[in-house]
Amino acid sequence: MRVGNVILAELDKLRTLPAVLLTAVATVGAAAGIAAAFAAGDGGPGAAESVTDVTLRMVPYVQAGLVLLGSLPAAHEYADGQIRATLTAVPERGLLVAAKSVAAATAVTLTAAAATGAGAAAAALTWWRAGAPPAAGGGGGGALLGATAYLALIGLLSYAVALLVRHLIPVLVGVLSLVLIGSPLLAAVTAHARWLPDRAGSQLYAPTDPVLTAATGGLVLLVWTVAVGVGAWVRFVRADP
Amino acid sequence: MRYGRILAGELHKAATLPAVWGGVAGALLGALAVTLLNSVAARAALENGRAEAWGSTSPFENAYAAMPLTVVGAVVLGVVVISSEYTANRADAGGGRQIATTLTVTPYRIQVLAAKAITVVVGVMVIAPATLLVTVGLARLVIGGGAETVSVTAAVTRCLGGTLYATLTGLIAFAVTVLTRSGILPLLVLIMNSTLVSGSLLLTKLTPLAHWLPDLAGRRLFGGLDTVDGGLAPLPGAIVMSGWTLALLVIAGAVFSRRDA
Amino acid sequence: MPRWWGRTGIVGVLLIDQVVKRRGSRTVLDRVTFAARPGRVTAFLGPNGAGKSSTLRILLGIDRADQGRALIGGRPYRSLREPLRTVGAMLDGVGAHRSRTAWSHLAWIARTHGIPRRRVREVLEQVGLAGHAGVRVGRYSLGMGQRLGLAAALLGEPEVLVLDEPVNGLDPEGIRWIRRLVRDHADAGGTVLLSSHLIGEVAGVADDLVIIANGRVVRTGTLAEVTAGHGDLEETFFALTGGAPGVGR
Repeated sequence: MRVGNVILAELDKLRTLPAVLLTAVATVGAAAGIAAAFAAGDGGPGAAESVTDVTLRMVPYVQAGLVLLGSLPAAHEYADGQIRATLTAVPERGLLVAAKSVAAATAVTLTAAAATGAGAAAAALTWWRAGAPPAAGGGGGGALLGATAYLALIGLLSYAVALLVRHLIPVLVGVLSLVLIGSPLLAAVTAHARWLPDRAGSQLYAPTDPVLTAATGGLVLLVWTVAVGVGAWVRFVRADP
Repeated sequence: MRYGRILAGELHKAATLPAVWGGVAGALLGALAVTLLNSVAARAALENGRAEAWGSTSPFENAYAAMPLTVVGAVVLGVVVISSEYTANRADAGGGRQIATTLTVTPYRIQVLAAKAITVVVGVMVIAPATLLVTVGLARLVIGGGAETVSVTAAVTRCLGGTLYATLTGLIAFAVTVLTRSGILPLLVLIMNSTLVSGSLLLTKLTPLAHWLPDLAGRRLFGGLDTVDGGLAPLPGAIVMSGWTLALLVIAGAVFSRRDA
Repeated sequence: MPRWWGRTGIVGVLLIDQVVKRRGSRTVLDRVTFAARPGRVTAFLGPNGAGKSSTLRILLGIDRADQGRALIGGRPYRSLREPLRTVGAMLDGVGAHRSRTAWSHLAWIARTHGIPRRRVREVLEQVGLAGHAGVRVGRYSLGMGQRLGLAAALLGEPEVLVLDEPVNGLDPEGIRWIRRLVRDHADAGGTVLLSSHLIGEVAGVADDLVIIANGRVVRTGTLAEVTAGHGDLEETFFALTGGAPGVGR
């Protein structure tokens, strides 16, 4: 069985699942809308922010869309017993997980890039229409790339959790609660909260931490993802579906 | 059919739904974890004489900080009591959904919906104060009762306020899920709205009317410090939030009784 | 003419050998042993909950046996390089996500094996779903779902067919169609293993029988051998599985 075929089949599955397309489009739309809202709210002559700064502020909001998108490739398999069709077509489970992971990574990366791009474009457009040229600088392209990387990795983390847990709602509630509630609460208590996946990952686009750089922060998030992913891989390969 | 039986049926269904217990357990454990961490840090600050830097050393405040998790639990409850009706069995088991059974057993749709809403209310009103009681107890254990700065009346008022907020949010989640038949959207929106990345809060930058949205209107029910200016005082806010909840429930009821299951 | 026409040897033989499966403290399958041979329709008969689906899931590599082995042509399913070209399986109905269309469902399956799109069109016509290919699976009736499952099984032109309760939910025309499909497949030299709890359907089409109850195989043999001394198949079935808890499972 050719790896390329299995990857293409996994991409086919994502392409033909309405929920995936809907989530991706809604995420990109929300990114544009929120960035535009930030630009409109703070803009005007003498605005101290660049397009990049404003775009980065929409990232914490938009990550929810990536969390949902990332959980779909794995969670939808268990919805109507599709996992049985999948396992009879591709019984080699290591290959299946690898291909599914590639497809999921592709989907979240494309959506993350589109969201960041749409956000930047919307912010720039809002300011241009208001006649207020934005300030230059502010990190520029590097920070935007970092934002894309962060969004993609958060989506991938959700994918790994969903592959392990197999039910959509617990994944959504768990990951969102951790990232949006648990993380800020822990950060107020201890500086060690910097090692949480989302806090470390946020260094990719907002490097404010004294210990972690953008690169090391991204690496920490990646390590979290791989760790959960390994657990999910083991369960998938060895256990009954 | 006696209404008591319909209500008993819905209560029993909720009590035997694993997702409900999962949500309750998650909220409770999360609240306990947060309280513990906060309390340990507060106690350390007390002992090192850096109480002001930490913020509040009151056991009540440190436990109350975990209220957002209780709200998430309420949202999960509100979503799950109705989304469980629409989870289809596997095709080989007939592909049926529980909603068909529910509605053949009890064809009076409004009463079914009302019973479910009451189930949500009962659930939250039991779990929220109980969680607060347990977490405050834990905080007092760790920090010591002497550091308490919140009076008993204030504590009880804020507990009631927080419970009301959680109950209304749970009911809003319930109503929206009835309309959308899927819990994903209400979960995403309502969890986000109880955090710093609140969509409603974002809207206040664009228009002050956003302060009339249910979650923002009711936020002063939590008492304590105000971090965002503008908006309604606690009592008017509670009335507005209740108004939203009632309106959404009425719409949900109207739609539910008219459409195909 | 099918690609495997005229092939000899053990390629098409299904072997279940001393399979044991436990779920918690229950022994779901207790040293189940039987074979299905090419050119014959083997019917796997038993009450609800007897272990038919569990056995087939182990045969297809979905679940893992605690002891024993299940082989297809001497190899476990999970070692087959392109399994759909050897075994066409229809397990528990559709297995398609409800918001996908029938076409999309078959298309991704075909893609895993590099099976061309035109084959998807062919099988849809063969099972009579060509007009409903663009409809979401969630809207399918039980019978349509069964046909879709069958279409997926036939995609790779396999020489072995493993069908779990294929006539479930089909109308009389559908049942006759399955019977003919299965008979033609066996007559052409292919292997068919189908499980059922409908005695009448099985009697009309089976060559070999495997009767299972409570996780144990109680009788195997040809139709004639198994029914000898009991009259018809229904009598035999109840005599052999008598008292086994079927109702209520």
